[in-house]
Amino acid sequence: MASSSPPFASGPPRPRPGFAPSANANVAGAPQISQIGRPVPSSAAPSAPLQPSPFSAPLPASSRPGHPQFASRPPAAAFPQGLVASNGPQGLAAPRIPPPTHAQPTPPVGAPASIRAPSPSAASSQAQAVRPFPGSPPAAAASRPFTSPPSSQQFGRPPISHPLSGSPTSQPPFGGPPTLQPPFAGSHPALAGLPTTQLPFNRPPTSQQFGGPPTQQTFTRPPVSQPYMGSQPYAGRPSPPSYVGPPSSQPFPGPPTMGAPSGTPAPAWPSQPRQVLPSMPGNMQAPPRMFGMPPGTPGHTMPPVPPAMGNSPLAGSQISTPSKIDPNQIPRPLPSSSVTLFETRQGNQANVPPPATSNFVVKDNGNCSPRLMRCTMNQIPCTGDLLSTSSMPLALMVQPLALPHPSEEPIQIVDFGESGPIRCSRCKGYINPFMKFIDHGRRFICNLCGFTNDTPRDYYCNLGPDGRRRDADERPELCRGTVEFVATREYMVRDPMPAVFFFLIDVSMNAVQTGATAAACSAISQSLADLPDGPRTMVGIATFDCTIHFYNLGRASQQPLMLIVPDVHDVYTPLHTDIIVQLAECRQSLEQLLENIPNIFENNKVAESAFGAAIKAGFLALKPTGGKLLVFQSVLPSVGIGSLSSREAEGRTNVSSGDKEAHKLLQPADKTLKAMAGEFAEYQVCVDMFITTQSYVDIASISVVPGTTGGQVYYYYPFSALSDPGKLYNDLRWNISRPQGFEAVMRVRCSQGLQVQEYSGNFCKRIPTDIDLPGIDCDKTIMVTFKHDDKFQENSECGIQCALLYTTVYGQRRIRVINLSLPCTSMLSNLFRSADLDTQFACFLKQAASMIPVSSLSQVREHITNLCINILHAYRKYCATVSSSGQLILPEALKLLPLYTLALAKSIGLRNDGRLDDRSYWVSLVTSLPISLAIPLVYPRMIPIHNLTAKEDDESLLPASIPLSSEHISDDGIYLLENGEDGLIYIGNMANPEMLQQIFGVPSVDGLPSQLVLEQFDNDVSKKLNDIVNEIRKQRCSYLRLRLCRKGDPSGMHFMSYMVEDKTPGGLSYVEFLVHVHRQIQTKMA
Amino acid sequence: MAVDLAFSGGGVSSTDLDGPDGVRMTWNSWPRSKVEASKCVVPVAASVTPIRASPSLVVLPYAPLRCKPPCAAVLNPLARVDFTAKIWICPFCFSRNYFPPHYAGISETNVPGELYAQCTTVEYAPPPLDVAAPPPPPVFLFVLDTCLIEEELGYVKSAMRRAIDLLPDHALVGLITFGTQVHLHELGFADMSKIYVFRGTMEISKDQILEQLGLSVAGVRHGAVAGAPGYLKGPQANGLHRSTSVNRFLLPASDCEYTLNSLLDELQRNQWPVEAVNRDLRCTGVALSVAAGLLGACTSGTGARIIALVGGPCTVGPGLIVSNDLSEPFRSHKDLDKDAAPYFHKAVQFYDNLAKQLVSQGHVLDLFASALDQVGVAEMKVAVERTGGLVVLAESFGHPVFKDSFKRIFEDGEQSLGLSFNGTLEINCSKDIKIQGIIGPCTSIEKKGTLCADTIVGQGNTTSWKMCGLDRSTCLTVFFDISPSERSSQPGIPNPQLYIQFLTNYQNPEGQMRLRVTTITRAWVDGSNTEELVGGFDQETTAVILARYISLKMEMEEEFDASRWLDRSLIRLCSQFGNYRKDDPASFTLHPNFSILPQFMFNLRRSQFVQVYNNSPDETAYFRMLLNRESITNSVVMIQPSLLSYSFNSPPTPALLDVTSISADRILLLDAYFTVVIFHGMTIAQWRNMGYHNRLEHQVFAQLLQAPHDDAQLIITDRFPVPRLVICDQHGSQARFLLAKLNPSATYNSAAHEVVPGSDVILTDDVSLQVFCEHLQRLAVQS
Repeated sequence: MASSSPPFASGPPRPRPGFAPSANANVAGAPQISQIGRPVPSSAAPSAPLQPSPFSAPLPASSRPGHPQFASRPPAAAFPQGLVASNGPQGLAAPRIPPPTHAQPTPPVGAPASIRAPSPSAASSQAQAVRPFPGSPPAAAASRPFTSPPSSQQFGRPPISHPLSGSPTSQPPFGGPPTLQPPFAGSHPALAGLPTTQLPFNRPPTSQQFGGPPTQQTFTRPPVSQPYMGSQPYAGRPSPPSYVGPPSSQPFPGPPTMGAPSGTPAPAWPSQPRQVLPSMPGNMQAPPRMFGMPPGTPGHTMPPVPPAMGNSPLAGSQISTPSKIDPNQIPRPLPSSSVTLFETRQGNQANVPPPATSNFVVKDNGNCSPRLMRCTMNQIPCTGDLLSTSSMPLALMVQPLALPHPSEEPIQIVDFGESGPIRCSRCKGYINPFMKFIDHGRRFICNLCGFTNDTPRDYYCNLGPDGRRRDADERPELCRGTVEFVATREYMVRDPMPAVFFFLIDVSMNAVQTGATAAACSAISQSLADLPDGPRTMVGIATFDCTIHFYNLGRASQQPLMLIVPDVHDVYTPLHTDIIVQLAECRQSLEQLLENIPNIFENNKVAESAFGAAIKAGFLALKPTGGKLLVFQSVLPSVGIGSLSSREAEGRTNVSSGDKEAHKLLQPADKTLKAMAGEFAEYQVCVDMFITTQSYVDIASISVVPGTTGGQVYYYYPFSALSDPGKLYNDLRWNISRPQGFEAVMRVRCSQGLQVQEYSGNFCKRIPTDIDLPGIDCDKTIMVTFKHDDKFQENSECGIQCALLYTTVYGQRRIRVINLSLPCTSMLSNLFRSADLDTQFACFLKQAASMIPVSSLSQVREHITNLCINILHAYRKYCATVSSSGQLILPEALKLLPLYTLALAKSIGLRNDGRLDDRSYWVSLVTSLPISLAIPLVYPRMIPIHNLTAKEDDESLLPASIPLSSEHISDDGIYLLENGEDGLIYIGNMANPEMLQQIFGVPSVDGLPSQLVLEQFDNDVSKKLNDIVNEIRKQRCSYLRLRLCRKGDPSGMHFMSYMVEDKTPGGLSYVEFLVHVHRQIQTKMA
Repeated sequence: MAVDLAFSGGGVSSTDLDGPDGVRMTWNSWPRSKVEASKCVVPVAASVTPIRASPSLVVLPYAPLRCKPPCAAVLNPLARVDFTAKIWICPFCFSRNYFPPHYAGISETNVPGELYAQCTTVEYAPPPLDVAAPPPPPVFLFVLDTCLIEEELGYVKSAMRRAIDLLPDHALVGLITFGTQVHLHELGFADMSKIYVFRGTMEISKDQILEQLGLSVAGVRHGAVAGAPGYLKGPQANGLHRSTSVNRFLLPASDCEYTLNSLLDELQRNQWPVEAVNRDLRCTGVALSVAAGLLGACTSGTGARIIALVGGPCTVGPGLIVSNDLSEPFRSHKDLDKDAAPYFHKAVQFYDNLAKQLVSQGHVLDLFASALDQVGVAEMKVAVERTGGLVVLAESFGHPVFKDSFKRIFEDGEQSLGLSFNGTLEINCSKDIKIQGIIGPCTSIEKKGTLCADTIVGQGNTTSWKMCGLDRSTCLTVFFDISPSERSSQPGIPNPQLYIQFLTNYQNPEGQMRLRVTTITRAWVDGSNTEELVGGFDQETTAVILARYISLKMEMEEEFDASRWLDRSLIRLCSQFGNYRKDDPASFTLHPNFSILPQFMFNLRRSQFVQVYNNSPDETAYFRMLLNRESITNSVVMIQPSLLSYSFNSPPTPALLDVTSISADRILLLDAYFTVVIFHGMTIAQWRNMGYHNRLEHQVFAQLLQAPHDDAQLIITDRFPVPRLVICDQHGSQARFLLAKLNPSATYNSAAHEVVPGSDVILTDDVSLQVFCEHLQRLAVQS
């Protein structure tokens, strides 16, 4: 291909997946989905009776049998290799062993040892002044240690004993006494010190030490007496640990239990064991849930409040005082730990998918897996008016290469030979299960535009009595929501590009002296083994300070040659060939070079960094082929093209002067990098940046490059040569080894009636309908918003099809077609019932992120709060009219929306006190964040780890999470909090020395190092903790950045800033927030 | 007439015609007025060899005594000295100067060296200010073209290796290779081969280069790199300033010999792809810019040469000679005349700027162009000539013309060229004499003074010139203007003598600063006295200076008809100084001092200097550069080659430069300066082919065969650049090298009886010398 012409440039014959005029689609022609097939509502009934046994035992019988199965399941050899492998890197099928200890079949579970981190240095501990946490309520802080009642006490208490706030018995249990704060403070002080072992039900001991009773407390009441119990999962759960890893997010799908005694390929992080979850539809109903049931049935689960399906009334009529709300009764996330089976369609009806963070196995029978694509609502409003009345967003989260659960059937590859896939001749939509064949199969009606096409002769097949083609079940494209078509020449403007990886390393003074250069070199060197095999894998490397240093790797058996490009204002490549060479040919010299680079630049005194010029130079090297540019950058780009000034200082002065334009500092400084990024994208160069820094680097400006080219930013601040190389290595490793594609183009089509409004994510958009993705990987999510341009018929279905044309790392050109067909409704209540909290919240999160650079923080916070209020108000107004106005009524599906909204308002991105770079990083992170990581990011998971041994641990690896409230933190506890990015280990200043010894190898709080490298010591606690951390890493596809936080020093304050339920100087407490929301709704209602 | 003159021209002059001062003039007796000077036709000019090697040269180890400013002439034997008053009177300005105290002992019997009568040329070698500091080492920066075929690259590499071997240990060496891009090798970086790469397409300023290399004074970009472990130990005792870490790139030859050799071993030809219909993209211009920029980081006063080894035309970036499209031909003289050479002026402008930069830095550009095709010498000429660089044009890096010449630069001892640096020439003259300018390898410093004439020839408008590079044979042509001022003509006794002093400051090959002072005097002649004028006429010098003058005019003036100008000048000169009766051509005779001039002019008209259309612009530029810098003796050979004849009958004798000199039983040795031809007569060639010279009984024949070779070798060894040796036989194709230079007295038009048996005819319509002279006689006597 001539390098001058952009790949995929315009031109009539240019094939795009998904390009076609969509005008004149025939709505009437859309297939009508009949309701005849709906299951009888009662068929789901059995789940209801099962739910109300929450307090009887931590492990309800129904779920118990399931767990052992996870652990003991033999490794799955089940998948046909070919199919899986063809789906991208064979990462999906082949185990990847941690490289540093090459080919060690069963590394210890604590495999991060492979990271070769130096042993932690004994750093002097900080002052141990005991101070109240800034964010916690004063009253609680003062009395905390002595106020907690034994939980046993509470279990015995009938709910009625709570003074109810004047409302009838239907009041929720948490309408506590006005002075509830420490509800039992006066009456049971003596019980405060109960040892954990006395606690029943294995609850996390933390709960017992706090003033706030644990959530389980609410279960003490007979469910029957609670009319709303039937509808709210939080009451019906068997109190398993929350957030037990949803495997959907695992980079290395494995059994949720880390024990891995099965001797299968070690499940250690990072590794990829092949274990298969059994599909056990029969066993899975343990916790009641809406998903898995056919739509239309939920009404049945909530008989007590018939008009308000899924209501969660929160407070009594006298909600005007916050104290009326029992903080223990308010909604909190309680996901199930067990694996569920999700069939995407049943009886020709779309099923409502399980929460994105839960652990489920998808059976694709028409609709795509929700991992790949899920919508903010599982029924489509017939009209735009209905949508706007609901105040909910209509958006789609597409994660086109999302990792499947290992037990799921792989995506099938369909090869139509030379003719290519069957497509609608008008809208160019791809053949899918919702295209309706008529006229004995001679013609088919497109579900997207309604056009009637002739069936190609060699694709003809008779229809069966049910009106389906007789071969529908044999043809994946007619029975699966997701298939992958082999692309023909028509879909290529050139031969599929090779997998090219170009590494760019900062060797300026700061980078070298902080050890960032050495860490980068070591990470690259170790990662070479994880690059795809074969002759199509090419690599190149360059370093830069105020000049750019290329290395000629093509000189077999000779020392590499350093070629310096000194002109950083107008860069060029110093060689025509040999800058990028086949990995197989240069591996040795590359390894040698990587070893030498830190030495060569050991005494480099150049403080300047020509980052912009360096990426431009890297781009020029990649221009002929396209590929991935991996940049390791440590300081603010200060010379050459795209150099930046330290706006942070400027920002500080502005902030102090109350500048309203402060958010401008979160916008790119100028258009230079944006223009460069556009050019990169045009030539299929994807840029990932690993920022290992000690100072401000203006992420707002430089993140534009990854953001436009389908890459991402990794941020290590402040970079520690001790604790960060491990994460750097694992991030890099995952970056290059995860399933991914190159030179991709994506387009979403939908049925006539809707149209795509906007795409958002990391991509480059040159024409309105398609987005160009120089790189796309399994972690990248693209949000697609829709708007109505017509009406849907009630009972019709709206089809949504995402087509992704991409090249695999092995050079195959593929079209992944992802289909979703959702029923249309004109009932607002249906919309609320089918609302998808996780997706909606991810949508809000991304909206907030996109607003941050253009609005003041207070405006953004207000905006998201209003989004929440408007939705709840719409629900209150139109769907829960019978309820008393004094109640805060939450739609069941969205009952956690206020909590998440509050958490979002207090997140790093929206806090007032954050650093500019932290906020910019947060924005860039969120832009492409998958749904499954969206919620943890703002509402992290906190688990106590000081009582690991006390737990009966044959059930789940991860202890139950505890609410993010300082009330749940005690001074003698140790807690792990993780949000998918960072892992904070908080150590109370009265932590058990023995525990400290076991976990950290130090005898006292004072002896703790300031930088943490989690080691595995030879004791159960340490092992367990390592197992937990590894499990989390797997779930999150992220090697957590572990840090120690100690009470009384800045790290402790940092930790406390995650306690989103607390009242803080800048935000309300959870209870206060609910009150605020309620007031706002009341005002609107009035 | 012509016959009489034939033998005296050419031939290697055994006597030292230049005299101890190395100054030769067209007129050794000067007309006193402007009008008379114009009647002389031939301009008053001097050819000066400023630092000519002379065995009798006196070197004085102290500083010279100068007249008071603004004269500043140096004390010389022509000054009047009053030993009692301890006063000397400057012959130029007539100021009276007291001898300083350390000359107190001066007396008639005790005079300092500079006052010895025979010491009109002396050299001062004042002790350096800082005795401890060694003189700065010379710098050799090689700029090597890599757009070569493998074979040529091999040749040039081995030439480089030899050169590196010959370099003095303390000399600093740098290496730049270029093709489509410029590679500057950082020789001081020990860890791996480190190369700075500059793109070939963009013009780059000195400041940019220095900044990008981290060498700019203000530039702290690269910080204190010198101390890094990747580099050899700190600054060597090489006199380079410490803060400019230019010694990352320039290392003493002894330190980097190994590095250089291994670099050469690994050096590959230009790797950028070239399509079959294209020339290599070669960025000679940028490469030279980078070289010049790098040397800009050297401390001032460092003698440095850029040695450019170029194997083809610059096809990209500044200094572009021809586009890289093979279908586009090189510019020819015709294109230049018609102004149809689109790149030419831009390129010349570029090299002119480069020349200015180099001159301001005091550095030299040497050009070694080796290609069958043109490489752009015509454009680069300005940079080479202005800096006093050497130039060699050969057809291959494997050819002896290149190989031996290249070696000569680095050789020591007898063969040494005596390459010197940082020369400045100042000229003082008597009143009434103004300086128009200089033709030759130097640059005007634009130091104006009362001595500057209004009309300018070559580098003028100054009394001071810079010669970044000069050697023992460097020759300059100074043009004078005689313009007596009103005042000087009035007072009583006019001074019968005129004085000119040449002051040459330079850094000799050992790095020491020297001042060469040459003071000459000549007599004024009243215009009426033609005899004296004629007596002082130097026809060899005149021929050469006219050749230089018309070359310059041909370059500078459009539509300049050199032949016609020469004809007219010659006719006027003959009219003026010949003896004849009006309108009687047969009566025409010339004074011996003028007698060979018509023949010189005849050959000059036929030479490559005037008949440029037979050559490429590159060749013409090359010939002219050498004409301008060579001594009068050598330059005469360029104009009128010398011919020696070898036969059994007589010892080697000079032969007429005429086709009639060809004989079947003779061997001819032609020295045309750029080529040396050994021409075997037909019979000789047959005998040789039959191997007679290998037989004992034919020893004499063997000696005869060998003799011209030995003589040719003598010529070759003595000459830089090494001439091309052509050995050919009568009627062979190579014989054209001889025939082209011979007077076509016998052509294909000649009747059979006019052709000497065994001789040859020349296939031309050109007139022969005889016809030329007949016409001259006729025209000269016309009234």
